Order: sequence, then C-alpha cells, then structure tokens
Amino acid sequence: MKPIPIIFAAGAALVAAANAHAQPLPDVPIPPDGSGSGSAAPPPPQQPPDNRAIEPSSPPETPTDPYAPLPPPKPRKPLPPLFMPEVLTTPTGFLLPAAVLYSKTSIDTGGGVTSDTRVGLGDVAEFGVATTDAVRERTDENDVTVDRIQPYVTASFRLGVAENRLFLYQPGMTLGFRKSFERHHDNFATRIAELTLVASWHLGQRAAVHVGGAFWDASLEGDLDPNDNMTVRREVTFHGFNDAKQQIRPFGGIEVTPIDRSQILVDVGWAPEFCYHCMTDVDKIVLKPVLSWGVRYEVAQWMRLESGVRVPDIGEANLLDAQIFGQVTFTSWALRRAVDSLK
Amino acid sequence: MHYRTVLVALLVSRIASADPSSTDASQETKPEDSEHASTPKRKRDATLGKIFHGPFQSSRLYTMPTADVVGAYVLSISGDGSLLQETGVLTSAGVVAVGFGDIGQLEYRHTSAITVTGVNAPLPSAGVQIKLPIPEYPNVPVFGVSFRLGVPRTEQLAGTAIEERVSDLFLVGRWRFEAARWLTLHGGARISQARIALSGANTFDTQRYLVLPTGAYELQMNPTAKIVGEIALAPRFAWMPETGVDPTIGYGLLGRFGMRWNLLPSVILDGSIGYQLDVATNAPAEGPGAIVQWDIRLGAEVFVPWGALACRAVGAFCE
Repeated sequence: MKPIPIIFAAGAALVAAANAHAQPLPDVPIPPDGSGSGSAAPPPPQQPPDNRAIEPSSPPETPTDPYAPLPPPKPRKPLPPLFMPEVLTTPTGFLLPAAVLYSKTSIDTGGGVTSDTRVGLGDVAEFGVATTDAVRERTDENDVTVDRIQPYVTASFRLGVAENRLFLYQPGMTLGFRKSFERHHDNFATRIAELTLVASWHLGQRAAVHVGGAFWDASLEGDLDPNDNMTVRREVTFHGFNDAKQQIRPFGGIEVTPIDRSQILVDVGWAPEFCYHCMTDVDKIVLKPVLSWGVRYEVAQWMRLESGVRVPDIGEANLLDAQIFGQVTFTSWALRRAVDSLK
Repeated sequence: MHYRTVLVALLVSRIASADPSSTDASQETKPEDSEHASTPKRKRDATLGKIFHGPFQSSRLYTMPTADVVGAYVLSISGDGSLLQETGVLTSAGVVAVGFGDIGQLEYRHTSAITVTGVNAPLPSAGVQIKLPIPEYPNVPVFGVSFRLGVPRTEQLAGTAIEERVSDLFLVGRWRFEAARWLTLHGGARISQARIALSGANTFDTQRYLVLPTGAYELQMNPTAKIVGEIALAPRFAWMPETGVDPTIGYGLLGRFGMRWNLLPSVILDGSIGYQLDVATNAPAEGPGAIVQWDIRLGAEVFVPWGALACRAVGAFCE
C-alpha cells in the first residue's frame, strides 16, 4: 500500500475518533450488536445499586479509638536567615524579618545600662524603642570629666530593601530615623535625632561590610550663658548653625565569622556631646567618633552574647574612658508563627 | 508536507476535546465580580476565618484619601499616633468609615493641620467619600471625591480662645500600570476653606480658600507590604500673641514616608517618618535639615465585615 492512502486512512480514523469523542454521551446504553441505533433492543433491566459502592461513606462498623494518638504535627517551615540590625553600635543594612521580635540588653564598666527592643514590619521595615548612654555632656571647655546622660530614650524606624532583592549583588539598604524624647537633665533640655542611610554586603559566607552616612541634629535648651548674670533660657540647635557639613558623618563596620556561630565585630560611629556653657554656640553641640570592637557568639538561634570594648571619643585617643561591655540579644519568631497561623 | 499539519491539527483537536481542565481554566480566569472585589461574601455558612480573610480595601494613605472606598457592609477603624511630635504629648488621629455599595463611604475623622502652636494637630471632621463609578481599565486612572466637613477646634493661648476650622474637598486619582504592577500613583488637589477666629483678650475672624496639591506613591515590595510616600500641602494657622499681628492662614508642606503592612487580611499596620516644611512666610523656616522636628508615627487599620458577621449570626444582610 502506498503511503498516501495509509495517511488518508489514518486521518479519516482520527477524524472519526475526534468527532465521536466530541459527541455527548448517549442517554441509553449502546447495544452490543454495534448497530448504534439505540432502539433496536429493549434496555437491559436495571441492576439494584451495589451497597458496597457506598461503603466508604457509611459509618465504620468497628468503633474508633477516641484516645488514639494525634497525627504528628506538620513540620515547621525552615526559618529564613536572621541578620542583626546593628553591628555593635552602628546600624546595618539588614532588617529584621516580619513580626520577629528583637531585644538587646547591655551593661558596661562605666555603669551604663541600655536596652533596645525592636519588631520587624513586613520584611521592609522595623520599629524600635531603646535607651542609650552614648549621649554625653560636659559643663564647659575646661571640663575634662565628660559624663553620660542616661537613660536617653529613643524611638527608631528603619525602612529598606533586603540584600539581592532588586538584583543580584544588590546590597541590603536601609534608611533609618532615630529620635529621642526630650531629656531634662541638670536644668537643661536636650534632644537628638539621626537620619541614616546604610548599605551592607555579605562577602561570601563569613564576612559582611557595612558602610553608611548619618545626618545628625540635636537641640539644647537652658540657661546657656551663665556669664551674663541673667537667667535667660534659650535654645540652640545643630541645624541652626547652618553648616550641613557638620551634620553629616560617615560610619561603618565589618563582621567576620572565623568560626561557626562566632563573629568578630568592629564599627565606627558617632555620638553627640553637649557642652552647656561653652563660649560659642557651635561648641555647645558637637559630634564625637566612637570606636567599638568585640565578639558575638550565637548561643542558640534565639540568643546571642556579645562582648567588647567601646571608646567613646576615639578622636582624642582617650583610652581611659574606654568601656568594656557585655550584652545579650534575644530574638523570637513566636509572633511570626502566630501571625502565620492566623493567616 | 501539509498532511502532517492536518494530522497535528487533528491530534490537537482531540486532546482539546478530551481535556476537561480547559473549561475549568476558562472559568477560573473569569474576572472577579465587582461586588466582592473589596468585601467578603455574606453567607450564612461562612466561617469566621473566611469572613475575616477579606478582601478588604483601604480608602486612605497616611492622611490623603485615595480613589477607593471601603467595601460595602464593611466598617473600617483606623488610627495613628506619635509620642515624638510634641514634647510629652501623644498626638493621634483616627478615622471611622463605613462603606456603602462599593462606591461610597461615610466617615468621621481627624484631619491634619498645623495649628498656631506649631503642631500638626488633628481637626475633627465628618465626611463622605465617593469613588466615581467608571469601569476600571488597565493603565487608566480612576477618580474619587472626598468631602470633609470641618468641626471647630478650640484652643487657649495667652487668654485668647482660638477657634480653628477646616473643611476640605479632595479630588483624587489613582493610577496603576500594567507594565509596572508594583507601582501605584496617587494625586489630586485639596480645596480647603480654613477659618480662624479669636475671642477673649483678642478678637479677630478671618477665613481663606486654598487649593493645595497632594500626591503619593506606593511601591509593592512583597505580597503583604509596600512602601508608601506621601507629600501634601496643608493649611497652616499662625498667630503670635502680644505682637499686634493679626492671625494668618497659610500652608505648610507635610510629608510622610514609610510602609504599610497587611499583618492579616483584616489588619493593616502603618509606620512612617513624618516631616513638615514651612513654605509660607508667616513663620521662620527651619529648613529640611531640622530633622529633630521630624516624627515617627505608628498606625493601624482594622476592617470589621459587619454585614458578613450579621449574616452568620442572625441571617441578616445575607446575599
């Protein structure tokens, strides 16, 4: 047989098959004689329904054990990696995951006690309330005993994009704003505010670099001119000096993980210092560089211990003011799991 | 070669006729009915989980209204607050809105305005918001109108009672793009009638009409969170007692930048950084560098599908 008739025959068979399939099913069984008329023979008698066919939906004959062990719980989803929002004192470009709680408590040899509590918002932001002892004060230019104002309560809000979110090798970036509540101390009222933009890169599995810039502002109100023999309260502000360069400072840090769960941390940041009776206004609010280094050990997935050294004014290389600190950080996914379960 | 084409066509037709999923797929791609685009179904056998799963539609950003309205049979309760804006004072604002027919809502709210004390204080107002019933098409903006009737707000300063009142008419539009579904733009104008009246130690009364632009954007960052930026001009009252200068009504620039997170389908959390700049001449400008004047606000919006709840509880308002 030639190929063309074969193809025609096959095509005709397929057309017939397709047309037959497209027809609706007949209401009556097709008789086995193959006539296809459907009316040549009477329909066969209806068979009684088979009870076994509905057996699965009927109640079981044997009672079930009401105290049978429950099925094993569904395995939890693996948690995404959690990168810390701070190196030691400076912010990173990493954000807390959504609905993850973070709490850090720190003490140091200078008598400082601070805390920092945050919550991740939607994988794009975080909000926190903290106390800091980084803000310092002194009376005038001749005062060499610089004290810390503590507790200094601040609120912070950070917004950002996670690493590699927009494109490969894109750093994690956050825009953060931190502002203090007004602090009354020694008859002076002070406030600070800091706007930061920071980028963080992971360099392989064992290192990360953080680079950023901060825009600082502060206000100081009180009797700032004691030599005029008048008690006149007035306010000076950092932005009122009209020198934006003095408000901008770079900061950064590095994290190295030489051993699993242990990190070496170094960062450089800035902190404001108020001088109540300095002669000129521009000296009443200044920024001082702060150097910190230390280690972080991940005790558990929910607990980290950190310890290190902080030098409040590295610009003057005054190691006598250096503080050795210890801090513990707890993170919790409980709220995240609760939210996920409600969804 | 054409016979091969015929065969392939036949096979395809056969497969199509034998595939039941093709018809199901066409049913699944049927567009969602407009009634349930922003409100949960009201059925007697609906579970609480399904009822509170939404969908729900917010009708505002931080301060400006959008071209959308709260869904029918849904109540929206929202508020925000800040402890940083005014020293030692919790400043807050709130909105209660109830939707009607997926094109309108009635609301009671606190409107932001800068008062003589320099605070972005809320002014109470009642209002109605309407989404223009125009079919929505890709890349074509939708529009809405919002009217907020101001309720007088009184404060005391140096023995003088200051009564401030602002009524607003917002004309707003919302624009989404097929090519960039992660982006939503909002824009419009705020037509304000602002009035300030002094009584007591000083007496004065003046009012002014202002046409103030307002705009915002939303960047969808993930399925539940987006970054929202909003910038708008707002009426500003200015008066310094014992200076002999009459009160003035100007305007200030208010901006907010933050995020909006759908914690649950019926719960939205807001967090934002806010700033205000003086663009009028009735107060000394501190400039954008005065970040010590910025604030952080947290807010939330909760949707209560009262129609679906009533249907489930007593069989009322069911579909």
